[in-house]
Amino acid sequence: MSGRAFGTQTPAAPPREKEHVLPTEAPITPSPFAEKVRGPVGRSCDKIDGVERVTGTKLYGADLIAREADLHAKVVRSEHAHAEVVSIDTKEALRVDGVLAVLTAEDVKGTNRHGLIRRDHPVLAKDRVRYRGDAVAIVVAKTEQAAAAGRDAVKVEYRVLPTVESIEQAMAPGAPHLQPGGNVMGGRRIRKGDADSALADSHVVVSETFRTQTVDHAFLDVEAGVARWDGELLTIRVSGQWVHEEARLVALALGLPVERVRIIQPAAGGAFGGREDISIQIYVGLAALRFAGKTVALRYDRAESMRARHKRHPMRIEYAMGADREGRLTAAKVAIYSDEGAYASTGIAVCRKMSSHATGPYRVPHVRVDVFGVHTNNNPTGAMRGFGATQIAIAYEGMMDRLAAKLGVDRVEFRRANLIRPGDAVTTGQVVPSPTAVECLEAVLRQYGSKSMPSEPLPTHLRRGWGVSVICFGMGYGDGFPDASRARVRIGADGCVEVYSGIVDVGQGAENVIAQVAAEEMGVGLEHTRVITADTHMTPESGSCSATRSTFFAGNAVRLAAGELKEKLLDAAGELLCVHPNELEFRGEEIRGRFDEGLCCSLGELVAAARKRGYELEAEALFKPRTICEDFETGQSPRAFITYMFGAHVSQVLVDVETGEVRVERHVACHDVGRAINPEAVRGQITGGVVQGIGMALMEEVVYRGGRILNPGFTDYILPTVRDVPPVECVVLESNDPLGPYGAKGVGEPPLIGAVPAVLSAIYDATGKAPATLPCNPERVWGMLTGS
Amino acid sequence: MGDSGGAWHLSCTVNGEPVEAEVDPRITLLTFLREHLLLTGTKGACLEGECGSCTVIVDGRPINSCLMLAGQAQGCSIQTIEGIGDDKKLHALQKHFIATGAAQCGYCTPGLIMAAKAMLDANPSPTEQEFTTAIEANICRCTGYESIRQAIRDAYREIHG
Repeated sequence: MSGRAFGTQTPAAPPREKEHVLPTEAPITPSPFAEKVRGPVGRSCDKIDGVERVTGTKLYGADLIAREADLHAKVVRSEHAHAEVVSIDTKEALRVDGVLAVLTAEDVKGTNRHGLIRRDHPVLAKDRVRYRGDAVAIVVAKTEQAAAAGRDAVKVEYRVLPTVESIEQAMAPGAPHLQPGGNVMGGRRIRKGDADSALADSHVVVSETFRTQTVDHAFLDVEAGVARWDGELLTIRVSGQWVHEEARLVALALGLPVERVRIIQPAAGGAFGGREDISIQIYVGLAALRFAGKTVALRYDRAESMRARHKRHPMRIEYAMGADREGRLTAAKVAIYSDEGAYASTGIAVCRKMSSHATGPYRVPHVRVDVFGVHTNNNPTGAMRGFGATQIAIAYEGMMDRLAAKLGVDRVEFRRANLIRPGDAVTTGQVVPSPTAVECLEAVLRQYGSKSMPSEPLPTHLRRGWGVSVICFGMGYGDGFPDASRARVRIGADGCVEVYSGIVDVGQGAENVIAQVAAEEMGVGLEHTRVITADTHMTPESGSCSATRSTFFAGNAVRLAAGELKEKLLDAAGELLCVHPNELEFRGEEIRGRFDEGLCCSLGELVAAARKRGYELEAEALFKPRTICEDFETGQSPRAFITYMFGAHVSQVLVDVETGEVRVERHVACHDVGRAINPEAVRGQITGGVVQGIGMALMEEVVYRGGRILNPGFTDYILPTVRDVPPVECVVLESNDPLGPYGAKGVGEPPLIGAVPAVLSAIYDATGKAPATLPCNPERVWGMLTGS
Repeated sequence: MGDSGGAWHLSCTVNGEPVEAEVDPRITLLTFLREHLLLTGTKGACLEGECGSCTVIVDGRPINSCLMLAGQAQGCSIQTIEGIGDDKKLHALQKHFIATGAAQCGYCTPGLIMAAKAMLDANPSPTEQEFTTAIEANICRCTGYESIRQAIRDAYREIHG
């Protein structure tokens, strides 16, 4: 890394650069950038706040509570999955020593509603509760213990209503309506060609019904944070995924102008979509408004976190797919029923992600898809890593294995023959700019084939098999939804490049990416950049940290802003050197004449001179590429997403046919990330996503009975440990996206999406039985094998 | 430990410093460390002994501080993440957790480092299995574990030349 800050000395300890390679890592496949890595982009730079994270000094929401809380709040939640609220008696609670206030819907001055797409979720329920996480009151007390005692003393009288537990119950005739419009919240469809006729004319047709489970994000850092109202400004420090939207939701719900709500993101211990819906921000804000000048704290424990938060949609996917005599896909007909839980959350957008990805990276001329989002009295379901593209990949990849078997052809050959190639369209009719599905498949097979299968004979109760998956993922919001990122770059008083972006770093390393982009663009070392993110009153809006969009959107905005700033510097240099700025150019840390080598000034000199003249060394930029709405009747759009990512996985498993246990022995994942701005962080995202995928495939499941979560803790909600997963072999493919910052696309969600179907495919290969219901825990696999 | 009007008198050693405190006997060691001593590097996550985020070293052993009552630490020597290194001088584990990318969100990191340190302190020549065993009681939701194992191997090599 080269370069200096403008007009400053090099600090003592610049962050270390490294080319650290784990023994299990496959080399990056031949990259168009191999010769081009000069600055920070393309290097595995240490996490910029790594020291704070490994020394325990980074402050997460709960750490703010330990340091700053004056008062504590707790939330009173519904005891029933579905009931009318008859009355709320707060007298007993107010008598608890230390309790200062009990707030109910009457105390909420705004709309008392939130929701990312439809504002249908009451902050504090007034007359009806629709799931066991619904909040009915907030207790504020001097200590956390008093707040908890007060919470337990609030007496809510309910008139219990019938609970709608499942999609089937919700759609049954006579089911109680959970929302005014009925239980079918909405849906999406694809009408492309004539799927019914094409299936009828197909050589073979396979049908299957897949059932996916409810999954919890299980980020370790449970919802916690503080709020303070100073009479003018309500400042809330709680981790989310989109600070500016959270400020709007808080303002609307509580009846404040949005300018008077400031959201500051503390460190976030993971998110995975689980912080996309608002969590405690409005509650703690409401409590703070009542006690001006006091810092009010609120935190959940694990059980409350699982009880309150939205989940990954469980779905029933009915899929029929056909192929002709030559093994070419002919048609797909898909009906998807998605349990939306009690409120809309981002469900309708998840439905749309399902429909638009219904046939994945395959060429299918005739497609008919109907997605129905159905309300139940379970937790609301919304964003989680993959956002519907995860569930549908389980189905289309499951169909590819089944169809190949029925045709009697090799499942890899069958995929290869049907994957989209340049000029081909995906489900939405969009011709994908640079489809790299085939390249990903070849690369993953190469890596998998680089080691041979263990040759020793297996004991009779074990079966070994391997499976494959190929997936695609449309990046960003798409569908014509405004998708924008803004950034500001300036030269700070100490000469460092300061980058301001509203994007949230939830732990994945977004701050590193934008620091690396800014340093690269400005020609300075990473140690001379300072990143300020996710504070509504300090940073320009950059959209959400979701949809695998942070690198692409925030990175582009930062790059554009840095480019603007360089233009300003050239203008200033022109004045300083008495030439037209067009005659000057940046060369490393200097500005020189294009034609006259004698013209020269260092950036340090330039910055000092510009400051003297009162130049504002600051620039802001907007990145807002357009997508085109999918047609409501047909789901077709020439540009449903701004770009697509591709990936391919191979998983190798051992199945114990006597116990139903599945062990993943090897897992290879290849992803086209456009460009790896920070290769180590990219591999980190891939391995982490794969492990979450193995968790979803084999063990994770939120179990409800009567709307009550039976396993609201890590004792019974099983997560993968180091004993459950092999070292993931990552293959990073770089394809240079024409619109991405330095060619980058992103990587967050696809690794999880690819992992789940590859594991299921391996179980099929090992046992001869194709799983259709998740998770494939021992009980379910044993049942599948024994037919019981 | 004596009774003084509801609170108990606790004496122990934390990161080499003697600590004397009046505490409610019902609180956990985790709460004592975080809220009384403001040593918030130790994290709570599941609060039922399943995830290891709250791991500290008590008399040389890795302990889930969410499952230990503060009173049980009477007379004990406790080491937390704050006691093993700081930004001026990182412990070898801390250094290598950064170097291998073993800390993504970082929330599980202090617990993992303390679990690994307990093993490295006690075991001068760990086998590959023992590197794994050291962290098998910890959950990391971000990284997928291999970078963590590698960081511990690298730290071991640095410590033992």
